[in-house]
Amino acid sequence: MEVDGAVVVEKVAGKSAVTRCFSKYPLKFIIPRKVGPSKTDCIWIYTLNYGGGIVSGDSISCELTVKDGSNAVLTTQASTKVYKSRGEELSEQLLEARIGSDALLAVLPDPVTCFATARYAQKQVFRVGSGSSLVLVDWFTSGRHGSGEIWEFDLFKSTNQIFLEDGHPLFFDTVLLERGGINTIIERMHGYQVIAMVVILGPKVKNIRDQVRENVKMIMGEQLHSPFTSARGPQMKMNSNRLLTKPEIIASSSVFGPMGIGTVVRIAAMETETVYRFLQQQLASMETLLGVPPYK
Amino acid sequence: MDDKHCHWSQWQLLDSILPTGGFAHSFGLEAAIQAQIVSSPDDLKTFVIHLLDNTGSLFLPFVHSATQSPDFETWKKNDMLLDAMLTNEVSRKASVTQGSALMRVSAIVFSEIPSLKAMRENLYGTGAVSFHHAPIFGLICGLLGWDGTMSQRAYLFITLRDVISAATRLNLVGPLGAAVLQHQLAFVAEDILKRWMNRPVEEACQTVPLLETVQGCHSCLFSKMFCS
Repeated sequence: MEVDGAVVVEKVAGKSAVTRCFSKYPLKFIIPRKVGPSKTDCIWIYTLNYGGGIVSGDSISCELTVKDGSNAVLTTQASTKVYKSRGEELSEQLLEARIGSDALLAVLPDPVTCFATARYAQKQVFRVGSGSSLVLVDWFTSGRHGSGEIWEFDLFKSTNQIFLEDGHPLFFDTVLLERGGINTIIERMHGYQVIAMVVILGPKVKNIRDQVRENVKMIMGEQLHSPFTSARGPQMKMNSNRLLTKPEIIASSSVFGPMGIGTVVRIAAMETETVYRFLQQQLASMETLLGVPPYK
Repeated sequence: MDDKHCHWSQWQLLDSILPTGGFAHSFGLEAAIQAQIVSSPDDLKTFVIHLLDNTGSLFLPFVHSATQSPDFETWKKNDMLLDAMLTNEVSRKASVTQGSALMRVSAIVFSEIPSLKAMRENLYGTGAVSFHHAPIFGLICGLLGWDGTMSQRAYLFITLRDVISAATRLNLVGPLGAAVLQHQLAFVAEDILKRWMNRPVEEACQTVPLLETVQGCHSCLFSKMFCS
């Protein structure tokens, strides 16, 4: 398949360097020389779309290779806007990434925001070895709340697949939200406006992984309340004033893969800012690897 | 197998008395109550519809595939794929627990199908398969000679049965209210079946991401009745 962009990062003279970078309309990469202090060994790649967003019918594919021993961040400068679709037309983005041994790829985008009637599908495939590390953030919002658009897009589909070197599926996740189902998307969201997923995998990010798991447990320990600790069951509670409200943020973490090499955190939140804060706090210690703290 | 015999097997596989341990699971309902997502019978109805829709999109492809090709190769391949797709630890463990129990019980009960017993004996403890529930359910349906529609409808039925049973024990509805709800939702479940049936396993997906997040919280609950 012909791709619209490709970047190769590899170790040159002991330091991560871009050895290939190509992109064509409507995709553009910006790779600043210097993001963090000079002693950090990490390449920051910003993806940009001409027109500030994804237009109906766009199909953008890119390849990213992070070779043995090198580190890279793939990020955006602002949220990815998906404009309304013309008829049944679908917009799509595809990413195919390979991560070498002792290499790290951090995919740290801003959220995807689908406008009313937008139809959007994205697929990200990662091929990793046992020594590869990956931090993947994938998130989306309900739309342009400011304009009163809340979960009004027609279709959103996000697929993330992680394969081990031998082709063994390690982590497969597809979320599909489509208008015209048995129930509306807004109903399924119970007032939540943002859905996020964070995958943390591999040896370089082991400490962050353990820390995030602990933190999520602590956050949720305070948010969840058993109705059975009071004398009244849930059936009674609906008759009285509702004292308890839904949490601003719900997060849960799970371990996956052989010997628990990966952790996935899922988040639902009432506001985009809450998720930015969560990501900023939980990923802050990546500064030592990336040069600057993510989402700051 | 003749029709008469087939009916007896069908009813037995779907009977809640078959000791497969389904009643130890609430499918995230207990966590949803504690997260204040579900606090009334109306909320329960919505929750069950969402659960059935997510079951349809995620598990029916695996039930379908196993019923169409109830053989070892398909089972092994799909079991591995589903293990990668159940990224939520709580539901992954629940699936393995229920699948292992269903396989064990069925291998003993449906003794007229020797291949069930053989497959279980050859694989148990080898780590070659994780014994996820949906592929095993489909495998058994296929070996019992059910058609694909029947086995996918049955999978939605047992999910509905088990979550409503959990709701009564969580004191959200009484036994009679539960029976009424189960009957009402049968029609919704049939629509969900039509929407998601006969899809390939590669298209399996989550349609209710909030449910996934909430169910993952189950392991954080301070006090709980259910395993998932």
